[in-house]
Amino acid sequence: MLVQLLVTGLALGSMYGLVALGYHITWATSRTMNFSQGHAVMVGAVIAWALVVALGWPLPIGLLATLLALAVFGALIERVAVRPFFRASSPAWLLSTIACGIIAENVAQLLFGKDARAFPSALTQRPILVGGAGFYPQELLIPVVGLGLMALVQLFYHRTRYGRQLKAVAWNAEAAGLMGINVPRAVMASYALSALLAGVAGVLLAPLLNVAPTMGTIIGLKAFAVAIIGGLTSAPGIVLAGLGYGLLEAVVAGYVSTGAREIVGFALVILVLMVRPWGLLGAPPARRV
Amino acid sequence: MRRSASLLLTLSLLVAAATGAVAQSKEPVKIGLSAAVSGGSAASGEAIKRGLEIAIGEINAKGGVLGGRPLQLVVRDDEGQPAKGVTIARELVEREKVAAVFGGLHTPVALAQVAVWHELKTPYMGAWAAGTNITRNGQSPNYVFRVSANDDDADKFLTRYATEVLRKGKPGLLLENTSWGQSNEAGLTKWLGEKGIRAVGIEKFNWGDPDMSPQLLRLKNAGADHVVLVANAPEGAQVVKSRAKIGWEIPMVSHWGISGGRFAELTGELSDGVAFLQTYSFFGKQNERGEQVLKALKEKYGVKGPEDVIAPVGTANAYDGLHLVALAIEQAGSTDGAKVRDALEGLKAEYKGLIKTYRRPFTAEQHDALTDADYIMVVWRAGKIVPLAAK
Amino acid sequence: MGRAGWATVAVAALLLPLSTSNTYYLYLACSVGLLTIVAAGLNVLAGFAGQISLGHAGFYALGAYGAGLAATRLGWPLWAAVPAGMVLAAIVGAAVGAAALRVSGPYLAMVTIAFGIIVEHVLVEWVSLTGGPGGIFNIPKLTVGGSYWPIAGCAAAALWLTANLRASAWGRALLAVKSSEVAAESLGISAYLARTTAFTISAALAGLAGGLFALLNGYISPDSFTLQASILFLLALLFGGLGSVAGPLVGGAALTLLPELLTGLADYRLILYGSLLMVSIYGLPAGVVGAVGARGRRSAPDTGLPLPALSPEGRGVETAGEVLLGVEGLGVSFGGVVALADVTLTVPARGITAVIGPNGAGKTTLINLITGYYRPGAGEIRLAGEPIAGRAPHAVARLGVARTFQTAQPFDDLSVVENVMVGVAGARLGALGGALLHGPGTRRRERALRARALQLLAVLGLAARAEEPAASLPAGLRRWLEIARALATEPRLLLLDEPAAGLSPTEIAELDARLTALRSQGGPAIVLVEHHMELVMAISDRISVLDYGRVIAAGAPATVRESPAVIEAYLGLPA
Repeated sequence: MLVQLLVTGLALGSMYGLVALGYHITWATSRTMNFSQGHAVMVGAVIAWALVVALGWPLPIGLLATLLALAVFGALIERVAVRPFFRASSPAWLLSTIACGIIAENVAQLLFGKDARAFPSALTQRPILVGGAGFYPQELLIPVVGLGLMALVQLFYHRTRYGRQLKAVAWNAEAAGLMGINVPRAVMASYALSALLAGVAGVLLAPLLNVAPTMGTIIGLKAFAVAIIGGLTSAPGIVLAGLGYGLLEAVVAGYVSTGAREIVGFALVILVLMVRPWGLLGAPPARRV
Repeated sequence: MRRSASLLLTLSLLVAAATGAVAQSKEPVKIGLSAAVSGGSAASGEAIKRGLEIAIGEINAKGGVLGGRPLQLVVRDDEGQPAKGVTIARELVEREKVAAVFGGLHTPVALAQVAVWHELKTPYMGAWAAGTNITRNGQSPNYVFRVSANDDDADKFLTRYATEVLRKGKPGLLLENTSWGQSNEAGLTKWLGEKGIRAVGIEKFNWGDPDMSPQLLRLKNAGADHVVLVANAPEGAQVVKSRAKIGWEIPMVSHWGISGGRFAELTGELSDGVAFLQTYSFFGKQNERGEQVLKALKEKYGVKGPEDVIAPVGTANAYDGLHLVALAIEQAGSTDGAKVRDALEGLKAEYKGLIKTYRRPFTAEQHDALTDADYIMVVWRAGKIVPLAAK
Repeated sequence: MGRAGWATVAVAALLLPLSTSNTYYLYLACSVGLLTIVAAGLNVLAGFAGQISLGHAGFYALGAYGAGLAATRLGWPLWAAVPAGMVLAAIVGAAVGAAALRVSGPYLAMVTIAFGIIVEHVLVEWVSLTGGPGGIFNIPKLTVGGSYWPIAGCAAAALWLTANLRASAWGRALLAVKSSEVAAESLGISAYLARTTAFTISAALAGLAGGLFALLNGYISPDSFTLQASILFLLALLFGGLGSVAGPLVGGAALTLLPELLTGLADYRLILYGSLLMVSIYGLPAGVVGAVGARGRRSAPDTGLPLPALSPEGRGVETAGEVLLGVEGLGVSFGGVVALADVTLTVPARGITAVIGPNGAGKTTLINLITGYYRPGAGEIRLAGEPIAGRAPHAVARLGVARTFQTAQPFDDLSVVENVMVGVAGARLGALGGALLHGPGTRRRERALRARALQLLAVLGLAARAEEPAASLPAGLRRWLEIARALATEPRLLLLDEPAAGLSPTEIAELDARLTALRSQGGPAIVLVEHHMELVMAISDRISVLDYGRVIAAGAPATVRESPAVIEAYLGLPA
């Protein structure tokens, strides 16, 4: 059973980390985030299902279209729910992004239907059996893709010019603007990227979880917990926290009970914040005096 | 002066009575529905609504009730929230003045509403929520009725099937972590106990859980020779998939939750052989009512065939329930809540319904029209529901 | 809402149960009352203290289950069970607040979300105590009509308490912390304590509402205490008007009644809900109450009574020549960059000491070190001989150190006179109970605080604008307000950070005159960090010059002016 738990835990954990990285990206750029990241996961799964399963598009094209749609979704959220409150010190963006998520869920329910639907995948047909336990190849693919993507994002930020520009905006938006960086566009790009990552998680998870309009909420919440535990300002922290959280969940569910899983997971968030208020590897926000 | 005044008074009273009677004869009799129409369980609310609408359509086509009054459905979304359910209950009775109210999937909502029906003296007909305490609520006179499964009877039925038909003696229980699961844990433990059996393990899972392998592995390690499942379709599908994932070929006996919600689509051939309880099935040979209802489903809602019927038990239960309520209203001769209640408890007419033929369906002690004698055991085969011969 | 508005509401509330026996309307009214109570509590936390909680369904649950268990398991009567639930919620609220409020923003939001979810799951899992998913039955209850009176009464009490709180030193302290935490700390207020108190009050009110909820329904289950419920509570407050006393009532009524009017649109419920949230945030930043323009804050009339003394804690009157502040070998670096190195400075108990230097020399850093906002890497700071380096800002403030900021930080959520009243009270907020109940002791204190504040405003020429919101002051006057507020704390030492920046020549002359007056009338020792050379030269008794974090000259103005090092630092040319 331990092997099974480890595989499942790593798969889910890497997805939490991927979605959580989305929180980090927007936070790092604009000190705001999309509180409905979880709904972006759902939108990704739903659109991919609509194109690939319902309409029968070939998988690569369907995936590409899904990613494009997600980028648009993210940009839309930024434009409507975040930008109006960007400079104000009010946390209004927190609640307006929640509102967007709620609306997205209802729209999905109206268009997609109220039932959960299956997303067939070749990688969830035959399980691999290892000593009395089993897992699907998809569960092995997920952490590989997840970690790979997270590494790519890191490379993007550190090695490419545009990525460094985005980091500059986080550091000091005014100065970045004066240096010729288009700040609003940079923030919008960060939201688009963050939604895209969430959508990828949705597509990867769809064969395992089934597609439903309500599938995103709990993932978004747990990914947020992961982002907080790892430290909103630290990408490596988040990746580690994601894997750790996924493994912890699997182990607690496996050896204790599923009820305990949620309690332990969220209690961990509170414990970590009591000991390290800005996350394991995060930095406190500078207080301007 | 006095005489003409009293003449005038009498005349106006007569006119008022006459217009009142005329108005009454066209005034619809309202029937309320309190169910989850949005959110994760919305399919169940939709199914119940369809059953009610089809039955109402049939009755109105034949002239309605109480001498020409049409039935009218008033739907309210309780969002699966007990407090919302209570608000709706009061609104339906006090503002909409319904004659009776039908209920939805959520046991906690139904439980919260029990007090209201008794306070406001309005009969309630459950069409899905199977919690034992809904009808067995200790109230007298009891205003809560149900045409649906009752967890206590369902557990008796499942236990009997597992022990007498499957001849298995080491059950592992796998239940959803809700009040429905809780109600069945109590029932299964009781009926297994009557046979001198204890479950080798009792495992729980939450709504939305993707993977039940750990629970199944624990049951496997505890030596279970069959699994008794209490789950709704999405979770039931994940249970079946988890069972395949860990390569455990074990017989599974389930409560009814896995009949709707595209269970077949979600599990494919993995669900073959999973036996479960139904009050009614639209697959296979239908009686006359069944044909009628299927036809109405096709015409009104674009349903293509039995495999397209969402949450069929809701539709079937609600359909029969409404006919029974209409008969009670006729027998009571009014929409007064206490009278309709008494009529339901002492229903004289025989009703050849969809699920069965009802003769005196309710008594003072029994407010569930269906018992384990009425349930059928069915099994999934290649995406279709097939009745099993033995009960 | 003016008096007439409240009177109308009160009359309507009294008449409702007497004019109808329709239990649907009465139940709705009770639901409005419950939501009002929770929203009033959240108003104290979010509206006054500026902290967002998305987990208050957890306290609602604690109140409900506390009352429910006390009534069913312990057999307590309802009038004891409901307060028991409230006390339970308050205790847990204090604990959670103390743990959580060391963080803010999204970190705090996450902690509250986590708390709410944990409570929800514990309710489900701990079957032997809570009845599990099935919940608790047969809680003794009153009829709907009978429940109306306690609920309406508690709702009225909750609103009354928040109104009292708003008009008290505690309330002002909360709003101060919300507007500008650093400025509040500089006046001696512990932001952490203020927020934790607000959190506890909000938890207690949510718990009270929960207990009444159990009493109203007779049945409780975990389904009623989800994250959705927490969001609903916050939405009610936002929609009604964050920070206004009537907001919780308006929002509670709107969010209970609107869904009832839109029952036909059940399929679109979430869209409407989300859109309402968006509308509240976008178009009604001050909620319905703010949009309707109800801004009436009644100002307590100045009764002209003799002013009772406020008993400043004997700060000791130092003689003129004594050293009040001694800084020795002070140094600090930020991320490898040396901001200050080996800075030594003495400030006598009387007089004006100036600290000047080019931009980036470390002048503000010096002030921040002295006032406790930064910890020094090396060196000592002594106030009247007592080491104070590294103490928290509010602790340093309570020792009699006041300061102003480079960019003025008035408390925008308060009026001009209220700003100064915060300074007068400082850390002495009075008893919380008195503040909530607006007892006679509190009323006396309020009059005294206000009178002293008005005095100070008069001295600085701001008396005419006393009742205006601080946010509406022009830039020059904001600085005067800040100085008035700092002086209100009756400090021994006043640090002014570039007070002349952006002032016109007339205003600078005024500043000159007032600082001189302060010195001659026995005011605090003043440390003046400035750029404006004329002003500095005219009024300082001593000047220290900083450049690249080091002291390059110190002494009388004439000496410093001639110093070659100073000339080079400023003009870049060798003398």
